[in-house]
Amino acid sequence: MRTKIGRSLVVLAVLSVAMLIAPAAVSYPTGVNGVAQTGCNCHGAVANSDVAPSISGLPDQYNYSEEYEIVVSFTGGPANAANSNQGGFNLWVSDGELAPIDATAQAYGANEASHTEAGNDQTSWTLTWTAPSGDRNVEFILHVNSVNGNEDGNNGGSSGDLWNKLSAKVSPPILVLEEADPFVVLSTLIVVSAVLLIITLTYVFYRTNPESFTWEHFAPWISEWLTSTDHKKIGTLYFVAGMFFLGVGGIMAMMIRIQLAVPGNDFLTQDQYNQFFTLHGTTMIFLAAMPLINGFANWMVPLQIGAPDLALPRINAMSFWLQPVAALLIFTGVFSGSGADTGWTGYAPYVVSETAHLGTTMWVAGQIMLVASSTLTGINFLTTIAVMRAPGMGWLQMPLFTWSILIANLMLFLSIPAFGVGLIQVYLDRVIGTAFYDVSAGGDPLLWSHLFWYFGHPEVYVVIVPAFGVISEVIATSARRSIFGYRSMVYAMAGIGVVSFIVYGHHMFTSGMSPTLRFVTMLTTMLVAVPTGIKIFNWLKTMHGGSLVYRTHTLWTLGFLVTFTLGGISGMFFPSIAMDLHLHESYFVVAHFHYVLVGGTVFGFYAAIYYWWPKMTGRMMDERLGVIHFLTGFISYNALFWPMHRLGVWGMARRHHTYFVTTEEAMGALPMEAAGWNMFVSVSAFLFFFSNFFLIANMIKTVIRGEKAPADPWGGWSFEWMTASPPPTPSFDPHNLPELKDANEHIANEPGTLGKLFNRLMMSEDEEVAH
Amino acid sequence: MSSYDDHHPSGWGPHDWGHGAPHNSWSPLIMSIGIGVFLFSVAGVYEWGEFIDASYIGVSIAGLAIIFIGLTVWWRQDYTFDGGYEPRSMGTPFRGIEVRKVAVWVFLMSEMMVFTSLFSTYMRYRFGIESCESVFMSGEWVEGSSVTCFEPAGHLIASSWFHLAPGAINTFALIISSFTIVQALRYAGMLDIDEDRRRKLVTRYLGTTWFLAVLFLTLKMIEWFLGFPLPEFLHEYNHGDSTIKSLYAEGYLINADSYQHKYYNTDYVASHGHGLDHESALYLMMEEGTHSGGQMMANIRVSASTFYVTTGTHGAHVLGGIIGLTYMTYKASRGGYTPDNAVSIEYFGLYWHFVDLVWVIVFPFFYLY
Repeated sequence: MRTKIGRSLVVLAVLSVAMLIAPAAVSYPTGVNGVAQTGCNCHGAVANSDVAPSISGLPDQYNYSEEYEIVVSFTGGPANAANSNQGGFNLWVSDGELAPIDATAQAYGANEASHTEAGNDQTSWTLTWTAPSGDRNVEFILHVNSVNGNEDGNNGGSSGDLWNKLSAKVSPPILVLEEADPFVVLSTLIVVSAVLLIITLTYVFYRTNPESFTWEHFAPWISEWLTSTDHKKIGTLYFVAGMFFLGVGGIMAMMIRIQLAVPGNDFLTQDQYNQFFTLHGTTMIFLAAMPLINGFANWMVPLQIGAPDLALPRINAMSFWLQPVAALLIFTGVFSGSGADTGWTGYAPYVVSETAHLGTTMWVAGQIMLVASSTLTGINFLTTIAVMRAPGMGWLQMPLFTWSILIANLMLFLSIPAFGVGLIQVYLDRVIGTAFYDVSAGGDPLLWSHLFWYFGHPEVYVVIVPAFGVISEVIATSARRSIFGYRSMVYAMAGIGVVSFIVYGHHMFTSGMSPTLRFVTMLTTMLVAVPTGIKIFNWLKTMHGGSLVYRTHTLWTLGFLVTFTLGGISGMFFPSIAMDLHLHESYFVVAHFHYVLVGGTVFGFYAAIYYWWPKMTGRMMDERLGVIHFLTGFISYNALFWPMHRLGVWGMARRHHTYFVTTEEAMGALPMEAAGWNMFVSVSAFLFFFSNFFLIANMIKTVIRGEKAPADPWGGWSFEWMTASPPPTPSFDPHNLPELKDANEHIANEPGTLGKLFNRLMMSEDEEVAH
Repeated sequence: MSSYDDHHPSGWGPHDWGHGAPHNSWSPLIMSIGIGVFLFSVAGVYEWGEFIDASYIGVSIAGLAIIFIGLTVWWRQDYTFDGGYEPRSMGTPFRGIEVRKVAVWVFLMSEMMVFTSLFSTYMRYRFGIESCESVFMSGEWVEGSSVTCFEPAGHLIASSWFHLAPGAINTFALIISSFTIVQALRYAGMLDIDEDRRRKLVTRYLGTTWFLAVLFLTLKMIEWFLGFPLPEFLHEYNHGDSTIKSLYAEGYLINADSYQHKYYNTDYVASHGHGLDHESALYLMMEEGTHSGGQMMANIRVSASTFYVTTGTHGAHVLGGIIGLTYMTYKASRGGYTPDNAVSIEYFGLYWHFVDLVWVIVFPFFYLY
């Protein structure tokens, strides 16, 4: 049996490596491992030095925008004038523009050129190259193929053909340093992060028993993690994956901020920038925020409702394992240099056009898997919460975090199939050639917007509502009293859940939708402020009647209240149609959603990490490091996003790879101060990024040397605090479940009108209750 | 962790179902990798409907094989399940109902949304794009250049009883299979019959359900790709044509940007006695001599995409049912279903009734209307 595990691990490792290598094998010129390394479709096995390629007509130093006539040619090899086919070439240039002169050559975009069918019968081709208008180090890579011609008859067989490669460099008028390729930087950082993660995990294993650091012990340990269906283990896996991708998304954000630090920067080209913001958004929403939510939900929901595990443990494992594989698909584009460049919204018809990068197909495929994952998660949590509450725990005795997960999953569950169907349509359009979004065949791009935002708007509440739940738990515990207005909290969340489905039109105000619908969604969107406001006031009122204990999670909660409220207020500008048309696609939007998603969701997660860490690991976190994390993080966060409001009002456009400032009053130009503010934002962004290292350090430090945690370090009173830290497996004995006897803190002993109705309709007391 | 045997949970094999502790399973990881490999490699075979790389076909098949390995592991673990540990709901409103039954109902909620989204797409295009018939009648086309319009598959299929036959038989096949699955459940749960008879009856009814599902997909393939010949005495009822052509042969395809159909040919309409509606704009234009008539060419890619993807999604659900039924029939033939775990058949039955119901809605909208 031991060998069986070993064998399966080897198979899995080979498969994973194959999935990483496969995309590189079809990489594209701009990629990390593109044509520069792997060459064109040259025939012949290896490069052969008999073939001597050359490029003539290139200057040592170019002049801006000048057009050069260049001749690529080769000598040697099997080519000779008697062959019907003599050779071919592929020329790639890092900058400037290539264009053919006659019918013997053709250009693929600005960067690549090759011979044509008609140019097969010669060994020299002429092209023009237009130098770039700025200062760049330009690299040429030429592949030539010396062809054995009609050896295999006139069909152009390729046996005996030889090829070779040549690279040349041209300097700009003003010498510049060699520039790093952002994709190489990003890939390197991702790989470095992954290696660090693996080292950390190996160290975690080493610490479990330093004497037995051998493969024989490692194989069952790792296979236990790969196969576990225990909700706590899966929760931890989600958590690790979520933190990893939070880091990866953060690295991408930092590179975006490097690009935007000064006006007219060219660290990222327009093309690369599109891929960076697409992957940043996708990573942060689907690969960081959602797994972190699921991590906490997996850990805490069964503990809070007194269930031994989730209803469907194997399905739960399936939900998780779809995610890393999906992430690999989404990221294939990064490693091939041709990642999705559609924005996380993937608007049609661009997403199905041939102009959109090939990586878009994989981005779509990955998201289809994420949709499947979310659906399975939804089934699991809805079922678990509906049927596995411990005796005595009615709907209105559930802790608010569990309520928030219920509402979030309900929203997600009912909306994500629309997104899934849209994605499948796009996937089929791109792969087998259906025409759902092909405008020339009558397809309607707005249909995609409807399907996407029908899901997309509930989705943004899906990531914020669990944070509401966390804040409710933390604030009640820290204020040492029950939450103020428990029922109104539940109804407010349910209200957000209902309203979320009828507001999505505000994402499409500029799409030319009907004015009546615009008006309706304006009103419904404004309505969202009501339940959210109720929640904010309830939290404030909870603090008012209590006596706060300032632990790190309390600080993050207070920070959340400030930043989320500010984000909520800036959000109220958008439902107003006239205001929305003005602010649309500006940095004001960026500021708003980062205020609610970082200041809301991420701060909520931080509070949750500090709050539940003792329960999850059995170790107390370091409060001093925690406070430093909060102070640096909170200040740099506000310095990072607050100025973006101003930049947005000035008219700085989102999703543009650069911007220009001017002293003149020109249309679309930013004032001079914008450059300074952007630099300030970039510096703050790096400070915020590095402030999170305090959290990582804190985690590592406490796991190794943390103080042992008691079962209930904060004085919480929901079920999870009744278990040991960390809890046993199964979390509760299925034959001896806990019983909720006193729910005074939730003032819900008497069922309400709805509860009475349910009681009458559904519950028959004489029915046998198993287990 | 010291040893792996049937009494300890193993990631590969049979479970000990006697308690509620979490078990280990390799299945989720393997299936996820398989799905990833499959989605990755299919995009390598085709691009915008064009065949690009045959070498990826092997990888796609490997992906499917990996999914199947994962599925086999899942089934191996389920195989020993005899109803010994079947948790039931504890709270309002599902008190006393099996947990997994609730889960299936929840799952069907999501399935409803899937088909709702597909129907939204259909309605958007069906009502948003002018139908080919009214474009034809309006005379706003010229022979030789393609017009974009919506051509419902129903127009082709419902044009003849024979053309409709596969779909109609399918409808009854599915309805009957919904009955047979309930019979399987009934006999599996029946207490007063002996074990052998129960085993036989359950196997027989599950097998029948399996057969009807396979029949469904077979007829669908005939309707889409193969077509079928008619005996001679029926030709006269089929406008004199000797075969019923498949949709593929009719050119009703997702890449049909210049679809030509006989119904949109003024000569054909005249020669088959239907005649053009004398009130129609086309007739008047032809009378005046401002329209020369002939055959209309249509870009029907959106209509065909909608038809194939919606009915195809339903077909995929049937295929999923077949895969599940294959395992269940095998388990039943080994006497795996007893009154203790008969409810497992009900879980599948719920899904199967849903697939049946969806067809009952898809059929009129896509085949008749």
